[in-house]
Amino acid sequence: MNNYSLNEILKEDEAKKAPASAWKKMLPLLRGEKRGLAIAFVAVIANSGLNLAGPLVIGHAIDRYVVKGDYHGVLVSSGLLLAIYLGAFIANYIQMRVMGGVAQRTLWRLRNDLFAKLQELPLAFFAVNKTGDLISRINSDTDRLNQFFSQGLMRFAGNIFLIIGAGLFILFINWQLGVAALLPAVGIFIFTRLISRLVARRNAGSLRAGGLLSAEVQESIANFKVVLAFNRRDYFRSHFAEANQAAFRSAVGAGYVNELFTPVFEFAGNVAQLIVLGVGLYLITQGQFAIGLLVSFVLYVTRFYDPLREMARLWSTFQVALAAWDRVSRILHLSSDLAVIPASEGKKGGRGVIDFERVSFAYPGGREVLRDASFAFERGKTYALVGPTGGGKTTTASLIARLYDPTAGTVYLDGRDIRSYDPAERSKKIGFILQEPFLFSGTVRDNILYGNPGYAGLSEEALKKVLAEAGLGSLLERFKGGLSASVDASGALSLGEKQIIAFVRAVLRKPEILILDEATANIDTVTEKILEDILAKLPPTTTKVVIAHRLNTIASADDIFFVNAGEIREAGSMEHAVDMLLHHKRQS
Amino acid sequence: MPPLSTQKPKIIDILKPYWGFVALLSLCTIAGNALGLFIPKLIARGIDTFARGTLDLDRIALEFLGISLAVLVSTYLQGAFQTYLSERAARDLRGRLADKISRMSYARLEKETPSKLLTNLTSDIEAVKMLASQGVATVVSSVILIIGASALLFSIDWRLALAVLALLPIIAIVLSLVFRRLGPLFKRGQEIIDRLNGIISQSIVGAALVRVVDAQGLELGKFHGENLQARENGMRVLKLFCVVIPTVGIVANMAALVILALGGRFVIAGTLSIGDFIAFNSYVIILIFPIIMLGFVSQIVSRAQTSYARIAEILGLEDEKDDGRDASQLRGDLEVRGLTVSYGEKDALRDVSFSIPAGTRAAIVGPTAAGKTQLLYALIGLIKPRSGQVLYDGKPLESYAKDALHAQAAIVFQDSVMFNLSLRENVAFGRTASAEAVDRAIQTAELADFVASLPQGLDTMVSERGTTLSGGQKQRIMLARALALNPRILFLDDFTARVDAATEARILANLEKNYPGITLVSVTQKVQSAERFDQVILLMEGEVLAQGTHAELAESSPEYAQIVESQKSTHTYE
Repeated sequence: MNNYSLNEILKEDEAKKAPASAWKKMLPLLRGEKRGLAIAFVAVIANSGLNLAGPLVIGHAIDRYVVKGDYHGVLVSSGLLLAIYLGAFIANYIQMRVMGGVAQRTLWRLRNDLFAKLQELPLAFFAVNKTGDLISRINSDTDRLNQFFSQGLMRFAGNIFLIIGAGLFILFINWQLGVAALLPAVGIFIFTRLISRLVARRNAGSLRAGGLLSAEVQESIANFKVVLAFNRRDYFRSHFAEANQAAFRSAVGAGYVNELFTPVFEFAGNVAQLIVLGVGLYLITQGQFAIGLLVSFVLYVTRFYDPLREMARLWSTFQVALAAWDRVSRILHLSSDLAVIPASEGKKGGRGVIDFERVSFAYPGGREVLRDASFAFERGKTYALVGPTGGGKTTTASLIARLYDPTAGTVYLDGRDIRSYDPAERSKKIGFILQEPFLFSGTVRDNILYGNPGYAGLSEEALKKVLAEAGLGSLLERFKGGLSASVDASGALSLGEKQIIAFVRAVLRKPEILILDEATANIDTVTEKILEDILAKLPPTTTKVVIAHRLNTIASADDIFFVNAGEIREAGSMEHAVDMLLHHKRQS
Repeated sequence: MPPLSTQKPKIIDILKPYWGFVALLSLCTIAGNALGLFIPKLIARGIDTFARGTLDLDRIALEFLGISLAVLVSTYLQGAFQTYLSERAARDLRGRLADKISRMSYARLEKETPSKLLTNLTSDIEAVKMLASQGVATVVSSVILIIGASALLFSIDWRLALAVLALLPIIAIVLSLVFRRLGPLFKRGQEIIDRLNGIISQSIVGAALVRVVDAQGLELGKFHGENLQARENGMRVLKLFCVVIPTVGIVANMAALVILALGGRFVIAGTLSIGDFIAFNSYVIILIFPIIMLGFVSQIVSRAQTSYARIAEILGLEDEKDDGRDASQLRGDLEVRGLTVSYGEKDALRDVSFSIPAGTRAAIVGPTAAGKTQLLYALIGLIKPRSGQVLYDGKPLESYAKDALHAQAAIVFQDSVMFNLSLRENVAFGRTASAEAVDRAIQTAELADFVASLPQGLDTMVSERGTTLSGGQKQRIMLARALALNPRILFLDDFTARVDAATEARILANLEKNYPGITLVSVTQKVQSAERFDQVILLMEGEVLAQGTHAELAESSPEYAQIVESQKSTHTYE
């Protein structure tokens, strides 16, 4: 089975990853947005150009008109200035609008992709990753990318443009002085390279701590009932305080290095001016340069370093976005190990409707739950799985429903390798009432029709008719408000009530194979009788697999299998099954 | 919003406790900006003195480096203080919020919904943090620069200054108009995040079901719907905001235009010197930049204001009344008088009364949806009854200190609640559990063999939501957790459903041996186990239909007799 733990994968290849490669990996995110990016880039360049033009026009107007008392000229210049500002207004608007749109669409697409990946990944993934951490990756980390794309990326690009332009310009004016002026920029480059690993590590740590904090909140709130009943409000507080302090510390740690960029870049810019002054004066004494030229050269140098200083501010948002992208892409790069294999590759064979051929299974890092187990179920019969708790009954059922794949051996469904079934086809055949019934927030109706598009459009009356025909009608009467009763607003639904809804949900799907994993354990025996009648009325071709403790459920089975310590053995008669239960030491 | 607080929560409040840091931050911001102004002067002095032949390059270089270093240090300190201030404010606010949540009642938590509280603690705090990290320094430096530049402008020419500053109210109006419309949009955005949280977490907790019925498409549909809303809302914010910034920009730039047109006229008319006119032009650039920055910050402020209102709403909730002080040792008598529990219109329990003497065992029997679970929740104070009383040793539940009561009255919930902690910590979850108590609880819950079979024994970590434990194992861990408290009263919610009869019998025998005199209240489906109990309470549709011993009820209550009849052949195996 794959290693699905996102935080462990992190440790594995953290060492070999260079930040530059992550940046390249981020590019595909903006695929399909080329047009927008091009427009925004033109707009950002236009905006910078117009903003540079403003002072030139003013300077020109002073020299040519104000000094000379030509008020008409002043007014013409004012009009020109107005036009420039309007142009800047439009360019600015277009840049923000387009990039904001790009960022919103990217955020939207990324969240959809992430959630789709979550749906594609198998159950094993959720056993090793914390819900709160996953939520934080989908909601918060993606938002950091959004922030960078909407506000950072274009200024980044525009500034690079300005820096290159100004850099070439000063080299063009005087290459010696130009090289001297650009030396501190080389220092910046080296400095950035040197601390890049530290910065990346700190930011990754900060986001990870944020994810853990979210996981802590999620778990504590989900388990609040126990927190209250065991009077451990302090547990909530202290666990939270710990995660909170850890998040604080790593965020401050990240902030302290992120804040290095601006002052250092600024310092480099100042040093560059000093160098220009020194070298420039030297060149003047050598007769190679003029004072007037030096004055404007100093100004050009600031034209180079000012955008670089703004880059420093953007650099830290960029670093955070990189770290966020790393967390997000870890999910996107996982793939399900429950892929559908082509029908031609899957083995054919197997007896009956379900056949386990030398099946072994172990949970990751756990001991073997099933060892070399072989058995077959025939169509239309009822099978009972018995055995001590922890013996492997639920695991066997989960393999039939392909929630996992065996670590060795083959499971056949209707004569075909179960892996060759399309999930839709497979789930249509198999109904599985899980041990822990789960209800989505919504109404009873939403829940009984969950994943059953065939009935989704039915009117209330039509649905009631369907339910009545299946003999399910009376079961739902106990929910005050009937089909439209809300399952979350009514306080605590008991397990038994949830089990009834789960039962109706499964039966309504008319599966060929119906697995009931302790499905009625918390339902009272009178109601259970109704359920039994419903089961008895299912089409005779329906194969039923029952996991239960109650003897009557087992007694009506055609065959009983004893599941314990990795083995699945046919018990033959009920007496034999009971005998086995009594004489085999429990393994749990 | 609670009716008590009539004042709108002010975002500035969150900075109040840190005014010292705000002051330091402001100081560094001012120092960095002010020192930076000397750099061009030094360069100018260098060139001037060179021209005059009096250049002292060493001295200038030294001063220059000194000032540059001072700028470096103060700028870095500004950033560091900013980081510390914002993270600290976020940490403290998260702490306050968590503290508030930890004092909520179960019903209140469910009402606020876990997904919203998660957003409050993450996304909302993040928005507030942004304000502290980016807003404060920008606002401080902007305001100082604007005031400074305005003063300079006035000192040169009051007419021009007035004309320029007349632009400021326009910007203020634009910003406040947009603020008003941005607020609701941000609020809606956060509510969408609440719902996204809910969809993601439900799809994870219900992952097995989703896969069994192949409903991934359905989940995607829900998510897509909400995510599309998020995008549309984001676009609406964008539409507003991408007008604001350029508008603020162009209005600020108008200052330069006004100076050129009006100032040019004054110069030509001879009422303004050309030198002052040029100075005016350069100072106005100092004025424009901070105004544009304020435009940018307006979004951060508005978002933070919205999120802080959401947080303040939670913080402003009245605490649950909990003035019980009685911490006395319980004997274990339990009495219920006229208990009625309602959810909205419908009654889950109606006028329920019974009494369970200390040291006896009572079974609460009844069909699914009879209200048994609600009854247990009311007994331990998780939900509040509409009327009626729960009495422990003759004194009402409310008079007890919660910690004392919960340490003595323990409950085993029917659904498994596992913490991502070690097995030991899961069992010793109640704070008072000693090592011996844990040991005894594990023995009693028949978990010793299971623990022994684990390579790391009690130190084995329980995975996320206990996904790799069997149902029976989780039930018994839940039992051990309750027993580790050494309770006087034990409530079991359908405990026997997941445990086979032989194990159940052994556990009951262990209970009697290891916890003598304990009062046992067991909600159960099985009349077979009720036979051995001192009394049976039959609950149906929220009402007590009959109570007495098993034998009495089998005689007197037709409903009970029917249940007994239905279970004749339903003995569990072993």
